[in-house]
Amino acid sequence: MTGMTAVVQAEGLTKYYGRRRGLEDLTLDIQPGEIFGYLGPNGAGKTTTIRLLLDVIRPTSGQVRVLGADSREAAVRARIGYLPGELVLEGRERARDYLEFLGRTRGGVPPGRVAQLAERLDADLSVPMRKLSKGNRQKVGLIQAFMHEPELLILDEPTGGLDPLVQQEFLAMVREVRASGRTVLMSSHVLAEVEHVSDRVGIVRAGRLVAVENVATLREKAVRRVELHFDAPVPREAFEGLPGVRDLRVEGASVRCTIDGRPDPLIKAAARFTVVHMVSAEPDLEEIFLTYYSEEGRNHDLQVSS
Amino acid sequence: MISKSLRDHRRALIGWVIGLSAFLSMYVGVVYPSIVEDPATYSAQAVAKYPGALKDLMGGLQDFATAPGYLQTVVYQILLPVLFIVCAMVLANRSLAGPEESGTFELIVTLPIDRRRLVLQLFAAMALGLLAVAAVTLAVAWALARSVDMDVRFDRIMAAHIGVYLLALFFGTLTLAVGAATGRKAVASAVLGVWAVLGYMVVTVGKNVDAVSWLKWVSPFHYYAEGRPLYEGLPVGDYLVLAGAVAVLALTAVLSFDRRDVGV
Repeated sequence: MTGMTAVVQAEGLTKYYGRRRGLEDLTLDIQPGEIFGYLGPNGAGKTTTIRLLLDVIRPTSGQVRVLGADSREAAVRARIGYLPGELVLEGRERARDYLEFLGRTRGGVPPGRVAQLAERLDADLSVPMRKLSKGNRQKVGLIQAFMHEPELLILDEPTGGLDPLVQQEFLAMVREVRASGRTVLMSSHVLAEVEHVSDRVGIVRAGRLVAVENVATLREKAVRRVELHFDAPVPREAFEGLPGVRDLRVEGASVRCTIDGRPDPLIKAAARFTVVHMVSAEPDLEEIFLTYYSEEGRNHDLQVSS
Repeated sequence: MISKSLRDHRRALIGWVIGLSAFLSMYVGVVYPSIVEDPATYSAQAVAKYPGALKDLMGGLQDFATAPGYLQTVVYQILLPVLFIVCAMVLANRSLAGPEESGTFELIVTLPIDRRRLVLQLFAAMALGLLAVAAVTLAVAWALARSVDMDVRFDRIMAAHIGVYLLALFFGTLTLAVGAATGRKAVASAVLGVWAVLGYMVVTVGKNVDAVSWLKWVSPFHYYAEGRPLYEGLPVGDYLVLAGAVAVLALTAVLSFDRRDVGV
């Protein structure tokens, strides 16, 4: 890809918890400056991967390098911001003091940075941690992950518990990280949460990475439902056999179908008539997502990569 | 990390200091003077109350009415050590296995601190916290002994108190080590409980039973009480054994935590 060293390099990374499989044979590179969405249902191996990257757990086999260093090297973690999937904050300590402790231990936080992030996310840091609401706890988690401006952000299910406005602010923060050339790995079990910011998505299922795709490519592959309404009835033949057009239904002056990939042939065919109304649903990436799953279900050896 | 850990322990430490001081005030400041008034009766009562094996369990109950005898039997034989050991267990569990079970350890182990260093720092914080509790309660014990005119030298009380500290540190470090190896508070507490109870039995009721008396060599209570610090002063050799055992356990904690998965 690029000449730069990958920020995350996993090779044959495998983790078993006793006999239970956590992750199997993960090989993945994440490049500097990209936002990588890591997708899969709960229990698929996302958190296992993330905890392996942070050396919280140790691989059964395989290797992983993070920011060019062995993940066992403690010093490298000062350059990582980590939001755990299940963030637990307890105690009488105020959130502000805890953030201060984390910041100091990671080698310092620019002055005013915590206050600025707290304002953006509308977080109250004067509360003792055990009294934080779920939303506020997640905000404190985001602040501690972002505050030291790490080169790599690893965010496990970052949007859980955030209200939509805060989610927007969070996505803006993620884009700023990319704009400054830094890297983000964020996991989710819902594609919609990451598709708008991610450059690439990896799909993990039952411990295996089944696909890595550019979001743009994925979107092109997406199935779109289209409805066209004309001022007069149209002949079915005009729309039959168009490349990518499926499930065609022509009823009087309306045409309904789904299209795979580019809508161009359908648009050109429709242009011969007078279109009065058109409905095109957002490409449902979730559907492709599920397609990968069902394909994987049929063929366990399938491994697609970009 | 040490200061952060101590700050987290602050309330618990203050609580234990208050509790232990109350215990000392009760037994040294209130009960002792009334025994001194009528030593013959109380001594006889005490011996009558605890027959045979139970008397062994209480450390023999000799010269109950003298100052060192009273302190040894009532304070330093079992009650103060047990309270200190529980305090050490609580601190140890709050340091590692507790946070790991609750999940707050996830952010701590992902700090740029080497795991071995992290455990050493948690150990140091626990040792310092216990030391603070021991130092304050020693001052309280001495002040109380003075106020009721106990005929005991300061260095003897200090010798006994150092023993209590080392004993508690031994069991605290044991708890920390088991917690570091397993991540489970219950397992750590259970190991401590079994070792402490059996260790105590072996040096009291078991000391005349040949089948088990050799086990005293692995009982920390042997090294704590055998030198009779309240009568004879600091038993340097015995205490060094305890300190050495603490070092071995601390090293075990460091190495076992370094090699395992956290929070699974």
